Amino acid sequence: MITLVKQECFKLLHKSSTYISSATLLLLMTALGFLSKYYPGSWGKPEIQFVQLFAGIYWIPLFMIAACSSIIAMEFQYGTIKELLYRKYYRGQILISKWITMFLYSVYFFSVSLAWSLVIKAVLFNDTFKLSDQYNNQLTIIHANILIIIGSFLVLWMILSLVLLLANVFRSTATAISIGIVGYFGLYIIEGMMIKIMNRWEWLKWNPLNILNLPLQLTEPNADKVTLLSTPEMVGACLGYTIISLVLSYIVFKRRSV
Amino acid sequence: MTTSILDIEHLSKSFGHKQVLKDVSFGVQAGHIIGLVGPNGAGKSTIMKAILGLFNYPEGKIMVDGEVVSPTSHQSMDEVGALIEYPGIYPFLTGYQHLHLFSKKTTSDTQVMDIVRKLRMDAYINRKAKTYSLGMKQKLGIALALVNNPRLVILDEPMNGLDPQSNKDLRNLILSYARSGTTFLISSHILSELEKLIDDIVVIDQGQIVYTQSMVTLESGSKKLLAFKTSDDVKASHILAQHGYQLDKSGGVSVIENGQNQMADMINLLTGNGINIEDVQHVHNDLETILLNLLKDDQVKGSK
Repeated sequence: MITLVKQECFKLLHKSSTYISSATLLLLMTALGFLSKYYPGSWGKPEIQFVQLFAGIYWIPLFMIAACSSIIAMEFQYGTIKELLYRKYYRGQILISKWITMFLYSVYFFSVSLAWSLVIKAVLFNDTFKLSDQYNNQLTIIHANILIIIGSFLVLWMILSLVLLLANVFRSTATAISIGIVGYFGLYIIEGMMIKIMNRWEWLKWNPLNILNLPLQLTEPNADKVTLLSTPEMVGACLGYTIISLVLSYIVFKRRSV
Repeated sequence: MTTSILDIEHLSKSFGHKQVLKDVSFGVQAGHIIGLVGPNGAGKSTIMKAILGLFNYPEGKIMVDGEVVSPTSHQSMDEVGALIEYPGIYPFLTGYQHLHLFSKKTTSDTQVMDIVRKLRMDAYINRKAKTYSLGMKQKLGIALALVNNPRLVILDEPMNGLDPQSNKDLRNLILSYARSGTTFLISSHILSELEKLIDDIVVIDQGQIVYTQSMVTLESGSKKLLAFKTSDDVKASHILAQHGYQLDKSGGVSVIENGQNQMADMINLLTGNGINIEDVQHVHNDLETILLNLLKDDQVKGSK
């Protein structure tokens, strides 16, 4: 398994998109840092931007969706799936090695974003706020930042597990990435309507779209009035949906013909 | 004593309602080069994929080096290298990175570069594979199959896209690996190249094995002819037949060679009867002719 993960990391590290994604993320975060410094009224207060990793928590899913779509679909597109499958490893091991690689990649993205946020804060907002300042009645800025990262990470993996399932269906990387990203935006559009519908049919509170509010709920104590779920319930549902999608992905991958 | 490295017993496989393999059975002796030949859609690639454990099969058994192979039983694949249908290449990696990616810990850089040299890939091995031509990709696919020095190598149409020099290099490479004990199962439509390599032949048609035999036996069983072009072919045929020479029905004046009849005697006989000889040729059935005859006649033969 370690060999397989190393192989996947080798491929990831030799794709130019890996470096372009990282550079783009840092550029976008830096740009938002400047906009927030000079136009806080339009682009949000710096402490809120810091907590949200200067929008890193919104950009990372896009890059990760692209990476997860590609890591499976490219093997079918390039015909390399046969090279992987005929060797001594089992299909399950090959798929799990890809999951592990993507997990490490997502940890890398969040780590880099957090580190870069701290750099932006130190350079642009050193005198504006301290990490120990109150974010709201209950949390300090750094505490809220950590909770947002945890919540975003959990929700990201709920989405990615679905993307990894869909990527099994497509033979073209471009198709898989397009559908993943369009679906991601679609989820947030539907989510707004879903909250209204949930007030009418309460059981809908368990739908995956409602779980997307987990980062908000972790930092806003009253958010459960909107989501109708407690934080432990949301975390449990998030993990549950992730596991279900990954299991389905495993089954589909094992049965897929090459 | 030869040992079997690959055994296929009563293998059947259907895709949907279409049965693509029907009760396929054959064995492969270690160190041999086996040609798997047949028309398009006969089931050659499907057999190869089944050997590599790429799909489930409802009936039959495949054993590589004594171990059963299926999608859930893959350990013997550690000693197998393969190129199936077309080479799987990552465009963002160089040729060398591909070989590095798929080489085992026990495979040294010297071994990797040895294959690169033998296949004359030195000039472009450090270029990204997206710049490779079809032939370059094919060579890389072959190098990937051989890089870990496997005991069994399965090559599906390895000559595709190769120029004559590359074909010769590949032939020499395969022969040198075979001499050191590597077994090859090769499918190819370029039968003129294949017959220079193989020890045994397995012919498949419509999902069924129709012939398995060693090349030595196959060639010894094929007709060798002496074809004459004369000033009067009808008269020449008549005279030769009268003197007990067996004529082939393929047309012209073609005498079946049996080791006893001498060309000089026949020439003397014909010229002595006033027939001018314009040309004489030894005609030997090549693999292509033999295969076409087999498929035409739909002969089903037992294995060796």
